[in-house]
Amino acid sequence: MAINLKPVDVAVVGLGAAGGVAVLPLAKAGLKVAGIEAGTWMDPHKQYHADEVFNNVRGGVTSVQKANREIPTVRENASSPTRPRGAIHPMMNAIGGTSIHYWASAWRLKPWDFRTRSEVEKRYGKSAIPAGSTLEDWPVTYDELEPFYDTIEHEVGVSGNAGNIQGKLDPKGNVYEGPRQREYPMPALRGTEYTEHMMATAKQLGWKPFHGPAAINSQTYNGRPGCVYHGYCGRGGCHISAKNSTAVSTIPAAMKTKNLTIFDLAQVTRIQTGPDGRASGVTYIRDGKEYFQPASVVLVASYTYENSRLLLLSKSKAYPNGLANNNGMVGKHFLSHWQGSPVFALFPYNINVWYGTPAQTTVVDDFADDNYDHSGLGFIGGTSISLGTEMHPIEAASMNTFGKAPQWGSKWKAFVKENAARWTSSYLQTSTYPYEQNFLDLDPDVKDPLGDPVCRITNANMPNEAKAAAYGQKKTEEWFRAAGAIEVIRGGAGSGGLSTHSYGGTRMGDNKETNVLDKWGLAHEVPNLGVLGGSVMGNSGARNPTLTVQALAWRTAEHIVKNWKSIKT
Amino acid sequence: MPEVSRRSVLIGAAIIPVTAIRSAAAPTVPPANALSPEQLRTLDAFVDRLIPKDENGPGASECGAANYIDRVLADNNAAEKPSFLQGLAATDAYAQSTHGSPFADLSAEARDAILTDMDSGKATGFTPNSRTFFNRVRRLTLEGTFSDPFYGGNKNFAGWDLIGYPGPRLAVAPEDQKMHVAIKPMHQSAWGGSNGH
Repeated sequence: MAINLKPVDVAVVGLGAAGGVAVLPLAKAGLKVAGIEAGTWMDPHKQYHADEVFNNVRGGVTSVQKANREIPTVRENASSPTRPRGAIHPMMNAIGGTSIHYWASAWRLKPWDFRTRSEVEKRYGKSAIPAGSTLEDWPVTYDELEPFYDTIEHEVGVSGNAGNIQGKLDPKGNVYEGPRQREYPMPALRGTEYTEHMMATAKQLGWKPFHGPAAINSQTYNGRPGCVYHGYCGRGGCHISAKNSTAVSTIPAAMKTKNLTIFDLAQVTRIQTGPDGRASGVTYIRDGKEYFQPASVVLVASYTYENSRLLLLSKSKAYPNGLANNNGMVGKHFLSHWQGSPVFALFPYNINVWYGTPAQTTVVDDFADDNYDHSGLGFIGGTSISLGTEMHPIEAASMNTFGKAPQWGSKWKAFVKENAARWTSSYLQTSTYPYEQNFLDLDPDVKDPLGDPVCRITNANMPNEAKAAAYGQKKTEEWFRAAGAIEVIRGGAGSGGLSTHSYGGTRMGDNKETNVLDKWGLAHEVPNLGVLGGSVMGNSGARNPTLTVQALAWRTAEHIVKNWKSIKT
Repeated sequence: MPEVSRRSVLIGAAIIPVTAIRSAAAPTVPPANALSPEQLRTLDAFVDRLIPKDENGPGASECGAANYIDRVLADNNAAEKPSFLQGLAATDAYAQSTHGSPFADLSAEARDAILTDMDSGKATGFTPNSRTFFNRVRRLTLEGTFSDPFYGGNKNFAGWDLIGYPGPRLAVAPEDQKMHVAIKPMHQSAWGGSNGH
């Protein structure tokens, strides 16, 4: 029998990148908020290390939590078997969630990403939409989201150079970005000789390079210091809190209001529904005991896989197929960001990318989005090319030998001695779209330790994305060669499986038949249930999702505050 | 190395204690006891050929890669210990059948011939195949040679010196990110002063 807790105004499931920002406007408005989080506070002193084995080999920051007990299964299509499950979930549970160990690239999507279907149909015709895609325009435009991007950039803290302030272009920033109302609160992270060299090369090629934006302090901000570039940012926590996870930014700010109560180490198992079909609260397990937290509004802010799984598990009389799923759309329009298509380059001298952070970048967007004419290319969307820093020693020694040396022995040793400081890789992200055949559901066989089915990913790689990624790789090769690289080689073709960039499953859209959520992120079928995270997005854009996730989360929270009376009853 | 852990450095407007890069509570490293002395000898003879000692300096054996592997198999990687021991036994059995002695007793040339057979998947007696085990030993040898010496390998920072990795440091100055040069090495473990020496 569950222990009943005192009712709150809003129960937020998950205090990561999304829930961790949503609590701030709610708590500031005076609403009583319960933040229910499966993880707990990380201890920077004990858990954040400048150590590749700890962070990257063992997943010391990422692998100790609930997420690891419910790693989704993955299969190519409905008739293929599921592949063996990975050992480590790419996401983690903690107060601050994956914003603790992420790369902290902090992008706005382009206005085009919000209206891709209509823009593509207008420019290239209806037949240009990839076959089988369920792509829709978003129910919110870039202009409507802009104030929330601005809020997050300032509340969380983002470093970057503006490329378009109210229509005035500045080549120091990304001239392809949508108009922003003002500068970033901090200048971009500092460049290095390598990133500046790649910047100069891109300009010679006629491209428009810039330093990518990052939720990392480039200087002291809100009482936290600037980045010290020590090179253990990816999959590691920041020992000086220069990386602006929600654990050091919006969550502490929300706690100051005294309206946020955090329930840590609490695993939410079900969202409960009353006889009226409204969400009544959440059930969670903490320390072996079951609790029921009643709430006027429930916001589900776990990761994409868990958002769909939690709704599908929360069956009731009113929702026999899972909460907010009477239209059968929970789990649909799933997409996994097309990444993993790097290009490796070898220079004839040390480039020394050891230190820094993956967000200390030079980026070109000339081949992303719809920034170039796609006529005759056979795909829509494109690829952003990001060249960053941070190389760890085991990783460096595991380098591609470019066909110039064997993989072991004295010849190999001589090769890595000469070249370990001379190579690098690129990070390519390709616009990815939803397709009929790609979806999430509950695995019929594999269960978590509580006996609940894990999430199952059905995801085939689609030709539109493969072509767009290959085009990006071709341009990356050009860039490296123009910069003086003596060897350039493609890594994988890329794919979308288990990923930190997963989208959809609870897509928002005006059409109630094809979407779970309305334009505010509240469920069409359940007016006091909201969902936050990448799961609300119907396409990825060609860049990291977190800033957009956070802007949308803030917007949903603010909508709830402004319409509190009508939403709570 | 100089004792710096009580100093503070000024970065921007914030004071950051040097100890922040290190652990307050470094976990105790378990004793190296996953492998028997004979198994350790076989493994050491194996890693010695993957990264040999030569004119370019110490190899994996001198760096303590076998010691690293011995430790992780007793600790973090305990789950793979049975398959790893099987692989080591199969390596010795293959050496016995092709060269008439245990692997560790063979010359460098003979060991190279065996490892070449394993790398290509030709060597018999392995589950699922010799290539899988070879690749696993290679990966763990890279970890043992190039990881923070806290874990028992990379002795005297010889692995990091080989590839020019300058070592973790508290704060990285712009000149530590320059091209064309060799960055001055720190020879410091992220886990504190006594590791690696």
